[in-house]
Amino acid sequence: MLETLDAKAAPLRNKMLIDDLNVYYGAFHAIKNANLDVPDRRVMALIGPSGCGKSTFLRALNRMHDLTPGARVTGTVTLDGNDIYAPDIDPVTVRHRIGMVFQRPNPFPKSIFENVVYGPKIHGEHNAKRLVEIAEKSLRAAALWDEAKDRLHKSALELSGGQQQRLCIARVLAVEPEVILMDEPASALDPIATSKIEDLIGELKKDYTVIIVTHSMQQAARISDFTTFFLLGDLIEVGTTSDIFTRPKDKRTEDYITGRYG
Amino acid sequence: MVAARANKAHRDERIALVFLMGSSGIFVLAMATILLFLLVNGTKLFYADHVSPLAFLFGTEWDGDAGKFGAAPFIAGSIVATGLAILLGGPLGVAIGLFFSELAPKRVAAAFKPAIEVLVGIPSIVYGWIGLTLLVPFLATVTHTQGNGILAAGLVLSIMILPTVISLSEDALRVVPTALREGSAALGATRWETMSRVLIPAASSGLAVAVILGIARAIGETLAVQLVLGNAPVMPKSLLMSASALTSEIVMEMGEAPDGSPFRHALFSMALLLLLVAMGLIVLIRLALRKRT
Amino acid sequence: MARALSTAPPVAKTFVSSNARSRRAIDKVATAGLWIAASAVVALLLLFIGYLFWQGYSEISWHFLTGYPQSATAGGGVGPEIFNSFYILVLTLTFTLPISILAGIYLQEYSGPGRFRDIVQFSAESLATVPSIVMALFGLLVFVQILGWHFSALGGALTLTFLNLPAMMRVTQQALASVPATYREASMGLGATKWQTVLRAILPSAIGPLTTGVVLVSGRIFGETAALIFTAGSSVSYGASAYDFNPFHTAETLAVHLYSTQREGLVPDATQIANGSALVLLVMVLVFNVVARVVGRQLTRRFTGKA
Repeated sequence: MLETLDAKAAPLRNKMLIDDLNVYYGAFHAIKNANLDVPDRRVMALIGPSGCGKSTFLRALNRMHDLTPGARVTGTVTLDGNDIYAPDIDPVTVRHRIGMVFQRPNPFPKSIFENVVYGPKIHGEHNAKRLVEIAEKSLRAAALWDEAKDRLHKSALELSGGQQQRLCIARVLAVEPEVILMDEPASALDPIATSKIEDLIGELKKDYTVIIVTHSMQQAARISDFTTFFLLGDLIEVGTTSDIFTRPKDKRTEDYITGRYG
Repeated sequence: MVAARANKAHRDERIALVFLMGSSGIFVLAMATILLFLLVNGTKLFYADHVSPLAFLFGTEWDGDAGKFGAAPFIAGSIVATGLAILLGGPLGVAIGLFFSELAPKRVAAAFKPAIEVLVGIPSIVYGWIGLTLLVPFLATVTHTQGNGILAAGLVLSIMILPTVISLSEDALRVVPTALREGSAALGATRWETMSRVLIPAASSGLAVAVILGIARAIGETLAVQLVLGNAPVMPKSLLMSASALTSEIVMEMGEAPDGSPFRHALFSMALLLLLVAMGLIVLIRLALRKRT
Repeated sequence: MARALSTAPPVAKTFVSSNARSRRAIDKVATAGLWIAASAVVALLLLFIGYLFWQGYSEISWHFLTGYPQSATAGGGVGPEIFNSFYILVLTLTFTLPISILAGIYLQEYSGPGRFRDIVQFSAESLATVPSIVMALFGLLVFVQILGWHFSALGGALTLTFLNLPAMMRVTQQALASVPATYREASMGLGATKWQTVLRAILPSAIGPLTTGVVLVSGRIFGETAALIFTAGSSVSYGASAYDFNPFHTAETLAVHLYSTQREGLVPDATQIANGSALVLLVMVLVFNVVARVVGRQLTRRFTGKA
């Protein structure tokens, strides 16, 4: 039922440390003093009712708020000991190491191949042979190779929704990040496509740290090792998934789990 | 009572519909009439004066008294001046369109946009006057020539088509979904990389329309080019030699062409050519837009 | 969990990114380039305005603005030309506005996809690209020759009507599109017919953007030259009075006067007159622009209660 820590999984260490994170949209205090340790090579789920700030929190982890005028972030977010918000850090390099998959698939209006190699090309890879290798490797890792290999140079927009989302995952994998942030990646997809994505996440965590925002508690219970509960901008509780769902420490967590509010 | 009022409302509706459709029909009538008149008068040179269309289009000698009606000098002049205008004004217009849609903070946009609107409103004769009294002497000093010619015309035209290209480019770029910008940024792209690798390709059909409309504007411009071209009816051999275009030739000579003369017919043929090119550009635009969907 | 950080081996890399610094440099250069491009164009406009003011300022006087043009001596004015510019503008609007607005309403509010709509739109698009000189020849044929009016204000106004129908229609369509769909739904939901909805609910709400657009296009009509040279003529009618309301008389506008003055150069102060005329035209453009925005905003506030 609930996934317990796999003895064969990588030893438990922290990949990212989040300290006193605050996010403001103008005067609105969206995330209040969040503290979180994110373990390496595990899946961490962020759950909570709509509007509680889970996506806002997620976007602070790869400096996406830099792109929003009026947004302000304070606190530290460290990746392997380095604060990504340090003044001398280029956000471009941050996003190279911390990738993001969005709620709605957003492939570029280019071919499947061009979508996947977009990242490597930007980061300086021009060798045609290596690009083809990267494309195949990423598409395989995203469980899309078989469906895509015969139409690599056709438009990505011809794919179904679920396929497009897996393409977006392949696109992120191609830049070889260490952490993958996922913002409700399956919420726009049908149940079959959703279960494919969930299987994929189970595979991805062998090599990557995954942080996934989900509005479905069942999904969190199915795929995550650790779960964090958010409410109205506050990080209420964090623990192993089985602890959170069977023995929550905070009453508010328990109320949410048992469905007292949505 | 209520029924009577309802009946009146419906009757008004029917009357209104007549006027509405009639007004729309006037557009069709207008275009058809213009096409008809231009076709009839623009082909008189060929069927009444027996000048061959090929001689007209490709002949390089233009001498009314000698009966030579080769319009190639004007066609070439129009093409080169327009080409120069779009070469300068096209990329510049797209760049500024990018600026407005991606870069400009609200206050800067609010200050710069009215400037573009004023540029649109300046009459072409005023552009021509500025060209004649400011640009041509400047070019003359810098290049030790007369200063007029296709270079001057191209420069003036490029400024004149800027507002068109800017606003259409900006519209085309704004329509690209934000999700694409976010997706590109999340992969570690810089803002310029997102602009050049994602936005511009995604907006390409809209940008093509912007450029085509810029071309249409440039090729149809009359007064501004007439004042700076020099107006010698010869093939343009250099950018700084006096030259002519279709539009400038028509406006210069129409006053002196006697009614019914082959000379006047030749001018109408040039007008017909301009009209056909303009309509051809419309078709091109529709093709570009169809490619999007 | 211990707060120690991961030292586990990273995922095997296929490529190493080493170009971050040059990419940052390119981004900075490109951004600067775009700023420079936009600023340069604005600076160019200021240059033009400054130049025209500097050249034409000395010519402006009450006499210049109201006096008669001279044919061979110095000291001519542009009074009648300014009058003609406004006169032809009003005439043009009288024809253009009803037709364009009704057609715009039809295309925007009434017609569904179909043959008629396609033909109308194609005609409008084609009409919009007809070069003004071509329209001038059309006007010459129809009004001057066939109808025998010779040079006339009416001929010029009708030619300008043909020229500006598409622009006014587009202005109408954009103004109508700016009205929220909820207004239409609310009105129809109360049992109003489509025409009543348009007249009472939609047009009042659209009046602001509509007026702005109309005034801006009027500014362009005011400065139109090519289409008027062969239809309204390049001389003012002498005789009765300088301010001639007869639409069948020749009527040189200010823009045409600028053209003919610099072309013929008969009067010794042709350059000064041209400079003065150019400045007046520029000022009129600025006035039209400002009025368009101010009036548009006021009307929107009056009719919809919001800024």
